[in-house]
Amino acid sequence: MFTQQIIGLIVITYFLIRLYLQKKQKQINANEFYFWLVFWMIAALAVVFLKQIDLLVRNLGFSASGIDVLLYLAVVMLFYFIFRMRIRMANMEKDITKVVRAIATKEKNDGM
Amino acid sequence: MKKIFIIIPAYNEENNIIKVIDDVKNVNTDFQIVVVDDCSTDNTYQLANKSNIIALRHIVNRGQGAALKTGTEYAIMKGADIIVHFDADRQFLAGEIKDVVKSILNNQADIVFGSRFMDKKSDIPWLKKNIIMPLARLVNKLFFKVTLSDPQAGFRAFSTNAYKKLEWQQDGMAHCSEIMHNAFRSDLRTKEVPITVIYRDFGQKFSGGFKILKDMFIGKFTR
Repeated sequence: MFTQQIIGLIVITYFLIRLYLQKKQKQINANEFYFWLVFWMIAALAVVFLKQIDLLVRNLGFSASGIDVLLYLAVVMLFYFIFRMRIRMANMEKDITKVVRAIATKEKNDGM
Repeated sequence: MKKIFIIIPAYNEENNIIKVIDDVKNVNTDFQIVVVDDCSTDNTYQLANKSNIIALRHIVNRGQGAALKTGTEYAIMKGADIIVHFDADRQFLAGEIKDVVKSILNNQADIVFGSRFMDKKSDIPWLKKNIIMPLARLVNKLFFKVTLSDPQAGFRAFSTNAYKKLEWQQDGMAHCSEIMHNAFRSDLRTKEVPITVIYRDFGQKFSGGFKILKDMFIGKFTR
């Protein structure tokens, strides 16, 4: 196994531990947990079977180098962060609705 | 006697709101009407508030699904037995409320959806009738196991007991699909009745369908 692969697996392990802790602290729901679990498992498999993937990519007629892989990973990471941001925003929107609803009901009950 | 609450979400409906309220009052004076103004920029709230009904106001625009939920939860708090969702743009006929609530009153259904695609004739725009609705019906059937003839039925009634199983999280237009999905995946007794829809504008567009799917997808990952 290459050093790069070991580093990759360490990074993925870090994210898996983080994911587990987020689930334990109920910061994410079950669906989100399973989505990212599958995502990081696929990433780990891709790192472990990098040689076979390289071979597959070459057989498909693409020229893949280390920098390409880094770029692909960067795109995946960006996707990850954008998606996380979208979920966070959706949760915030939900909280805003709860506040707006509570004010609407309170206004009526207080006879305002 | 069962307490029936009519929930009317409204956004910039100053030209229609009084007429809708009067129409509903004329059907049955015992109906409790709750108008939820979703932060209109016109006089919708002021007009509703003067109409001797319950008028609630969102201080920030949150969408139709959110307004319906505000009204529904308020009605339940006030002892409602049956909740009816009704539009403020005069596209539904108030006289048909009795058809929608009938099966719930007779204890034959827990939730009743109005359908534009049954016996009664609605003047549905061609694109909507022949392209958008069949596609929406297919999506509902494939992804949500919903087999209703009207994939975007906004005129509905349900019993207060059913609300726990129906409770929707979607603030926008996706609440409609979510309510159907929740109804079909639970053990609630569902029913469809024919209703008439008078089109005053096109309503939900093709792009709206994609937004609903996107909102439903994102909703799967939220708290």
